[in-house]
Parts: sequence; structure tokens; C-alpha cells
Amino acid sequence: MMTLEEFTVNLEKEFEGVEPGSFTPDTHYRDIKNWSSIYALIVVAFVDLNFNVILNATDLRSTNTIRELYDLAVQKHV
Amino acid sequence: MTKFSLDKHIILITGASSGIGRSCAVEASRMGATCILTGRNEEELKRTAGLCSTPATIFSGDLTALDVIQKLVSGLPKLDGVIHCAGITHPWPIKFLKPEHIKTMFDINYTAPVLLTTELLQKNKINDDASFIFISSISAQHPYYGGATYASSKAAIEAFSKSLAIEMAPRRVRSNVIRPGLVKTRMFDEAKGASVDSENFDQYEKFYPLGFGEAEDVSNAACYLLSKESRWITGTEIKMDGGLILNSKKN
Repeated sequence: MMTLEEFTVNLEKEFEGVEPGSFTPDTHYRDIKNWSSIYALIVVAFVDLNFNVILNATDLRSTNTIRELYDLAVQKHV
Repeated sequence: MTKFSLDKHIILITGASSGIGRSCAVEASRMGATCILTGRNEEELKRTAGLCSTPATIFSGDLTALDVIQKLVSGLPKLDGVIHCAGITHPWPIKFLKPEHIKTMFDINYTAPVLLTTELLQKNKINDDASFIFISSISAQHPYYGGATYASSKAAIEAFSKSLAIEMAPRRVRSNVIRPGLVKTRMFDEAKGASVDSENFDQYEKFYPLGFGEAEDVSNAACYLLSKESRWITGTEIKMDGGLILNSKKN
């Protein structure tokens, strides 16, 4: 399974205009520049592709940091 | 006194447990049709039947299974109309598509209505002068971000409808598509609920000069296409979007 560090690096690559290496597990991913519903869609699809887990809007709203998002994906993957 | 009547018409409606399918049943029965309702949720189908003005028959089952289609069709009388309303939507950006996303979308939105139509024809369950209606989406021509599989499945069923119109014309059986924009249904609520910025979802309505649609807007058009007054209309699409596309330069 993808580690938290890999998750962080790979998720960062999905967002346009984000400076490489700027994401850490404690980054609040919804605070990134130009955050939109399209980015939310990408997050959901990214988690599904890597964990076979489909997050809903409530799931997303329950997380703020990349670490929380990762933990939720791991928890639901079981 | 109404101009159009569906008296003595027997109509099969898929996806009749909610939304546009339910509204089609209610409006068609109000115009005199006898409706046969299909869907996966038996309780909701019973609710729809209870809303109809004429006695309705229900058949609950998953029409993505061929044996379920065969069982449904074997028990049907000859039909004067079929409204294919059953469908799903889920947004997936193309980069993240998995085979099962495509299969699920096409199984429900394309393959099931196609195989149901085939079975109806094979078992001679369609009367001459009957009318097929497929509920598509404005996205078949005007896709949105993440809507590749949904829009593709609807574009595919639109092409199928045209082929059906050609093949069935000798019997004056018609096939048409209704292509709605956003309509306030359960699917609409689910899309809104799945949207992380659901507060902003309502703001899409500003792009609709006439506002979002209601299920009745679509079912009224469906009833017209079922009626003999539309007998010269086949192989076409009725776009219903409250003026969305007219307004697109402002979007």
C-alpha cells in the first residue's frame, strides 16, 4: 500500500500551479491556491484509484490535512 | 378538454421509482395511459403506482441482468410506448478512469435499454405506431468536467435511438430522445450532496435563464412524444435546458 509520504508527493502532482515539494502531510489541502470543486473531484478520484475507496462529500469535509485524508483512505480500505 | 390523449395506450417506463420516471408515469396515466413501472426499489415503485391516475403494474428488478429483462418482457402485453428513464451518473476525471467505472455506467445507461429494446422486438411486444423515448442529457452534446463516461453513454444511446428510428419506421414505430439540462430530481440531490461545495451548486442555476427544470417539464414532453399528435417526429432530440445553451457565452 502507498505510504503517507508517497501519497503526499503523488497527490501534489495532481494540482496545477503547486510548487513541487511544498506539500507535507500536515498541509491543509483545501487551502491550496485555486481550490475548487474540480480539485475535490480529483482528490476523490485519486483516492479511488490508489485505495479502491470512494469518498463522499461528508468524508472529504471531515478531513483537513493530507494526513487525515490518507488515514481515512487507509481506514476505509480495510 | 385536452388536445392530447394516451387513452388505451400501454406504456412501459424504466426508472419509474423516482424523478423523471415517476413523473412520466404520473403524467402519462393522467392522460389515460396504463403504465407498467420498472425499477430496482419495489417500495418506491409502489409509491409511484399509488400516484398514478390509472391502475399501474410494477416489476422490480435490475435490468442490467439479461435474465431479468427476459422475465420482464415475457410477462408484458403488447406496448404502445416505452420510456427509458433508468440511469446513473458519477463524475470521474478521465485520468482516473477504471474499467469498472466505464462498465457500470454503460451497463445501466446504454446496454440495459438497448437489450430491453431488442428483447421487446424479438418477443413481438411492440404495437405498430408505438413510440420509444430515451431520456438523455444535455451533456451528450455539451460535456462537463468529470462527465466523460456519463456523457459518452448518453451520446451512445442517442445514436442508438436514431438507428431504432430507421429500423422501425416501416411499422411507423418512432424513437426519440429528450435531452434535459439539470432537473430537480433525486439524482440532482445526489449530485449536489456529492459536491464538496454544495453551497455553490445552487449558483449553477444562474446560468439557466428559466432556472433548473422540474421533472414535470420532461414528462410533459414525453407524453407529447408518446401521443399520436407527434406521429411525424422520429429520430430526433428535444433539448430542454431552460435556455442554458443560449446563455453559454455568459457562462
